[in-house]
Amino acid sequence: MTALATSVPVTDGAAPAPDRRRNRRRSAWLPTALLLIGAVYCLLPLAWVVAASTKSGSSLFTTFTFAPGGDLLANFGELSSYGGGVYWKWLINSLIFAGVGGLLSAFVSGLSGYTLAKFRFPGRDAIFNVLLAGVLVPGVTLAIPQYLLLAKVGLTDTYWSVLLPSILSPYGIYLARIYAAAAVPDTVIEAARTDGATEGRIFGRVALPMMLPGLVTVFLFQFVAIWNNFLLPFVMLSDDDKFPVTVGLFTLLNQGQTVPALYSVVIIGVLISIVPLIALFLTLQRYWRLDLVSGAVKG
Amino acid sequence: MRAKFGAKLLAVVLAAGLSAAACSSDSGDTDQTAQPGGKVDLSFWSWAPNIDKTVDAWNAANPDIHVTLSKQAGGGDIVTKLLTASKAGNPPDLAQVEYQALPTLVSNDVLADIAKEAAPVKDKFAEGVWQQVTLGTDAVYAIPQDSGPMMLYYRADEFTKLGLTVPKTWDEFAQVARTVRQKAPKKYLTTFSANDPGWFTGLAQQAGASWWGINGETWKVSVNDAATRKVADYWGGLVGEGAIDKQPMYTPAWNKALNDGTLIAWPSAIWAPGVLEGNAPATKGKWAMAPMPQWAAGENKTGSWGGSSTGVTSGSKNKAAAVKFAAWMNADPAATELLIKESAIYPAAREAQSSPLLQQPPAFFAEQKDFYTSAKAIAETASGFVWGPNVNVAYDTYKDAFGKAITAKTPFSGAVDTMQSATVADMQKNGFKVTS
Amino acid sequence: MSSATTGRSRRGAASRGVPYLFLAPAIVLFLLFLLLPVGYAVYLSLRKVKVSGLGLGRNSRTEIFAGLENYRTALSDPELWGSAGRVVAYGLTLLPIMLGLALLFALLLDRPRVRLARFSRLAIFLPYAVPGLIASMLWGFLYLPAVSPFTDLAGWLGLPAPDPLTGGSVFFAIVNIAVWGGVGFNMIVLFTSLRAIPAEIYESARLDGCTEFQLAVRIKIPLLLPSLIMTTVFSLIATLQVFTEPLTVRSLTNSISSTWTPLMKIYRDAFAQNDIYSAAASSVLIAGVTLVVSFGFLRLVQRQAFGGENR
Repeated sequence: MTALATSVPVTDGAAPAPDRRRNRRRSAWLPTALLLIGAVYCLLPLAWVVAASTKSGSSLFTTFTFAPGGDLLANFGELSSYGGGVYWKWLINSLIFAGVGGLLSAFVSGLSGYTLAKFRFPGRDAIFNVLLAGVLVPGVTLAIPQYLLLAKVGLTDTYWSVLLPSILSPYGIYLARIYAAAAVPDTVIEAARTDGATEGRIFGRVALPMMLPGLVTVFLFQFVAIWNNFLLPFVMLSDDDKFPVTVGLFTLLNQGQTVPALYSVVIIGVLISIVPLIALFLTLQRYWRLDLVSGAVKG
Repeated sequence: MRAKFGAKLLAVVLAAGLSAAACSSDSGDTDQTAQPGGKVDLSFWSWAPNIDKTVDAWNAANPDIHVTLSKQAGGGDIVTKLLTASKAGNPPDLAQVEYQALPTLVSNDVLADIAKEAAPVKDKFAEGVWQQVTLGTDAVYAIPQDSGPMMLYYRADEFTKLGLTVPKTWDEFAQVARTVRQKAPKKYLTTFSANDPGWFTGLAQQAGASWWGINGETWKVSVNDAATRKVADYWGGLVGEGAIDKQPMYTPAWNKALNDGTLIAWPSAIWAPGVLEGNAPATKGKWAMAPMPQWAAGENKTGSWGGSSTGVTSGSKNKAAAVKFAAWMNADPAATELLIKESAIYPAAREAQSSPLLQQPPAFFAEQKDFYTSAKAIAETASGFVWGPNVNVAYDTYKDAFGKAITAKTPFSGAVDTMQSATVADMQKNGFKVTS
Repeated sequence: MSSATTGRSRRGAASRGVPYLFLAPAIVLFLLFLLLPVGYAVYLSLRKVKVSGLGLGRNSRTEIFAGLENYRTALSDPELWGSAGRVVAYGLTLLPIMLGLALLFALLLDRPRVRLARFSRLAIFLPYAVPGLIASMLWGFLYLPAVSPFTDLAGWLGLPAPDPLTGGSVFFAIVNIAVWGGVGFNMIVLFTSLRAIPAEIYESARLDGCTEFQLAVRIKIPLLLPSLIMTTVFSLIATLQVFTEPLTVRSLTNSISSTWTPLMKIYRDAFAQNDIYSAAASSVLIAGVTLVVSFGFLRLVQRQAFGGENR
């Protein structure tokens, strides 16, 4: 229970000392039960995916849902060999888009958030509000105009066509701003300035390291958003070697009416595509600092 | 000094973008036909399964014309991508397009007129099929690949078990449907799908429907002609009675129904064996194929569902080479053998239809020795059909209108009327001259 | 929270340009990938296509100026109004459920002596890793009576099989998919806010005899208000833009039309009917309404949302 928010300089909110001796063994069963019900609800479709991925095409529709089948390896083989192994290319593409896009996005958000938080200049609030208003425009509206504009510079069907529009994250800038305001004291910046450091060095050497946990949050948030994005790569990419997993799986499901839908391949594809994200969550949990999202800034 | 950091960043991003642009724009710029004997690169969008085998065969035999395949999502999605790519100026050289999408694409200047280059293969195809790619003009916009004549598929074992005879007319079909419900309340003869406009259009074609027609410079739109209304009300009546199921096709539930015998018949097209094999493998060998029930006893008509062609885009810089590939793929026996074997399609080329591969029935229908002979005979009876420039609007309205008619239990001919008004309105909005 | 005051006089002119430079990447990206496409969309919304003759020859389609015709058509389209009303109802149903559950779970996780908290927290957060397209497909398998395990369960209990995708209940089926996908993320957001509250605040309350429940209601929730408001605003915007889930579920049922939500209509116009002009006009309208609603809401609760931040 103490994995998150370990930098909060107080006790971790567990039972306060006087009560501990009396109530250590009395667990709170009702809250536990409620949380477990929530956990089961959230895990249900994922459990279904695990069970379904062990079934071949024929047993998928003929056996009881949660009864495991024995075809996990067969399905895995089919997925691997489909299109000459194109699924793995899709997975790598997703990693590239989400990883590189997330890094660039975290950097730009960090730079922008730091600037918005730590500098006073005319137009600051206007710029912030306008940047934030970016979330109001839905991806569906932007997709085709973005495609046509990128086509004018010949960038469509390239990795950049998916990366460049993904870098700007108004939500990430918002998060970074709050974090910079909380984590980077003005005194440190002023000290660096009086020492004669350039603003660029101040950001790179002083502020960036202090903002790192928050930027990891922005990175993770943007990583997931790009990984799960379907519409942008669908519109931008036509070479199926460049598809991310979302578009690839969609293609498998929508092969037209004259072809059977490859459900068993799609289902195991879904299972495998979730694994990297889960692994990412687990390993980076200690960096996942979402208290900056809260707005409860201890300025 | 101070200010350089941000500027550097900006410069890097822009430079990267420009270099990427430089790297990726070469395919469209060079005039590759300038060097005779030089290598030509063609891009080809398709969704047919395993079509990469056919493409590989071509590439192996033709090192000077290299075709790169991009597997896309099927049907309507590829039309949208073609339109957008054309508008942006970077379409592929070749694309697989269904017949009903041809007018939309031609209307948007996406497909090139390849009449001259395609002349050599014209007589390899039947008149009716060739008409689909000329749109009644002197131009040729694509080379036919396969066709989709419709016939009835049914579970022979279930029919025997329930003591049913294969219906020859739609009246008999309705009777069989009712009998099925009586004898086996958990089963349905088949389902009416509000999600598959192509299927319904094929059925309407069989009844003699003609939704779009050309009169000089004017389009005549009659989606709600008498034939279509007849078909709509026929199915509407059966759904209302509960004699026919009303779930959409191509869903997991539909797969299950095919697998466990909840649905025991499927009016479908010639490519159905592949779909059945993929979706209901457990029922192998239990299905049989018969001609579609007729509206009048003794008649011999059917409609078409699906079927695609290979088009060459007007943005292509290597049209001659592209047509060469398309003509080979769809008419040359070596290629059509691969198409039949690997992509499970019924070729439109006449010679290919008599291929040795089609002498025995598909594996899924091993019992029915004369499968392809009867299929060929049925294919000859397929009605022609003129597609209009906004088929996608009609199709989309079909899904909404029939879905609503099913849930609200209103007559299906009302849904057809809705389709008519939406189609006409859309054409008028775009400036077409329309009569209805 | 003022910027450098000492030393500014020496570097005033130069450092005044620095913030703009640092913001340049974001601003350039915003201009290129947000403003320009939106501008282009607005431009497209004032155009339409005119066809000459049969429309089959070359250059038979030309793009012409259409004025406000696309807007007039959109505003007089009953389907657009219907979908707008539906998405409002959808938001009013979804937001309390999703945020209420997120708040509940966050408070429960913050409670002492809860067992298996880490497991529950991770489990509830996992749906965030699943894209909307996939989530809808998965829930489709759980909803369709023919393939759903709930049908078997109902059978064992002697109840009729649930059929959420038929008729009015399809609305709640879609709400459920969105709740499932969104609870985890919002729960984590609220939970980590809770963790930032110093425990001393609770100690005195507990010494006074407060139960955990009273603690939650009287102390924690008021302190959570800023982050609750911000999650509400972002969730509200996402809710008004819903389209992936209904679009995917649409192929499974007869009960969802292609204009079920405003964004589905835009998607249909742009991608299925290849009419980017109507899509652009509807987009401008929807974006405008979303802007008004969300900034209106923010204005209303401004004090609570930004009360903590120095300005």
